[in-house]
Amino acid sequence: MHLPKLMKDKIIKYIQDEFITDDSILTPETKLISSGIIDSFSLVSLQSFIEREFGKRIPNPKMTVENCDTVVKLIDLINQF
Amino acid sequence: MITSPVFFIILIPTFILYWLIPDKYKIRQILLVISSFVFLYIFDLSAMIITLILTIYTYSGGYFIGSRKNLNLAYWLLIGGLLICLIFFKYIGLLVPAFDSLNTFVKIFPKFELKNILLPLGISYIVLKHISYLTDIKWGIIKKQDFIFFLTYSSFFTIFTAGPIERYEKFQPQLENRGDKFEWKYLDEGFQRIIFGLFKKFVLANWIAFFINPVLQNQNDYTFELKSLALLGFSLQIYFDFSGYSDIAIGSSRLFGFKIMENFNFPYLKQNISQFWRSWHISLSEWIRDYIFMPLARLSTNKIWFYFFAPVISMGICGIWHGAKWGFLLWGIWHGIGLSAYQIYRKNVKKKYANSIFVNSLSVLLTFIFVTLGWYFFIN
Repeated sequence: MHLPKLMKDKIIKYIQDEFITDDSILTPETKLISSGIIDSFSLVSLQSFIEREFGKRIPNPKMTVENCDTVVKLIDLINQF
Repeated sequence: MITSPVFFIILIPTFILYWLIPDKYKIRQILLVISSFVFLYIFDLSAMIITLILTIYTYSGGYFIGSRKNLNLAYWLLIGGLLICLIFFKYIGLLVPAFDSLNTFVKIFPKFELKNILLPLGISYIVLKHISYLTDIKWGIIKKQDFIFFLTYSSFFTIFTAGPIERYEKFQPQLENRGDKFEWKYLDEGFQRIIFGLFKKFVLANWIAFFINPVLQNQNDYTFELKSLALLGFSLQIYFDFSGYSDIAIGSSRLFGFKIMENFNFPYLKQNISQFWRSWHISLSEWIRDYIFMPLARLSTNKIWFYFFAPVISMGICGIWHGAKWGFLLWGIWHGIGLSAYQIYRKNVKKKYANSIFVNSLSVLLTFIFVTLGWYFFIN
């Protein structure tokens, strides 16, 4: 079982390194999908990262704005599976 | 269909009755099914029969794969059945010239008469809804199954002909016996949205169509400049037309207290093609994303596959879903290439000038031009 903080740090680092192309700093509340940081392509990579790192497979229809628009929401989603 | 008087003649008494009868024993859902079948019976008897058959087929299949584990073969057979149904009714016409030319060499195919092939109303929408239903059962998203609820979902006349392609997972909780009582906000919000949709369709879209249709229908008679202007007009017309339909569908559903997903979100004000597709025909683009693009993209880690073939194939399918015309396929491929090119740009170019008004406005303009050029394939 991953501690939420460890999970949060890992996800933030991954998104920051992979998808943020300017100098902005990602926070747990930064909008990911609605701001355009994450799109369909990034969602596939993020989904694979979650599976690899935390052993959780999130079904595609669950990867929505409502469920993963921030790192906090994403962690809630991961913990549902 | 949902702009015809018949639609409203069915909608109004259904709305009144819906709120008069008690919310128990699924009576309200049965009323919606009856109204939907009356609607289908009036417009297209074949669609009514096919809806019933497909609903029984998909529900039984879903029940079967939902009650057992590791039924991949059964799942694919069920999906195959739905796809065969779609191909038979919708795309056989596309293959007729190929059959005919083959027949000139070897007479193995029967002679097809296009007029004998039915195109049942709403077939494209119902097949997508049923595929997502079965897949969501397989993925463990849908756990509770109920035939009356599924029949209501499959046939619901407000979203039957022009979407949005609502997901069962979101629709079912709204169908559960909620003990709902009528609220004025349902009438208020629903009525406003319907009026807004009718305005978009009958005033804006039809007014633009009045000017551009003569040019689009006789393109050889007009200059390049006029044809370009007509293409620009078409870009606006199709938006007002289709988003108008969606407004009517969403508003009509709201009369019954349902919240149907939004289908458009100012798509022509987006800064790139990726954002455009999150705002244009959202229910379809999300469907394509969840059930075609993401599974395809995960097939291989090869970058060319991921950044080029997966989006191009997905958008090609999205294009051909619109109808049996090669132009639709080319339109989809055009957008697939656009999405692919944008990803490559995004990966390699740092956003140095992000948030500058000039760059943002230019991005909106370039995206609009790209989308407008794409409509050329769509209409030819």
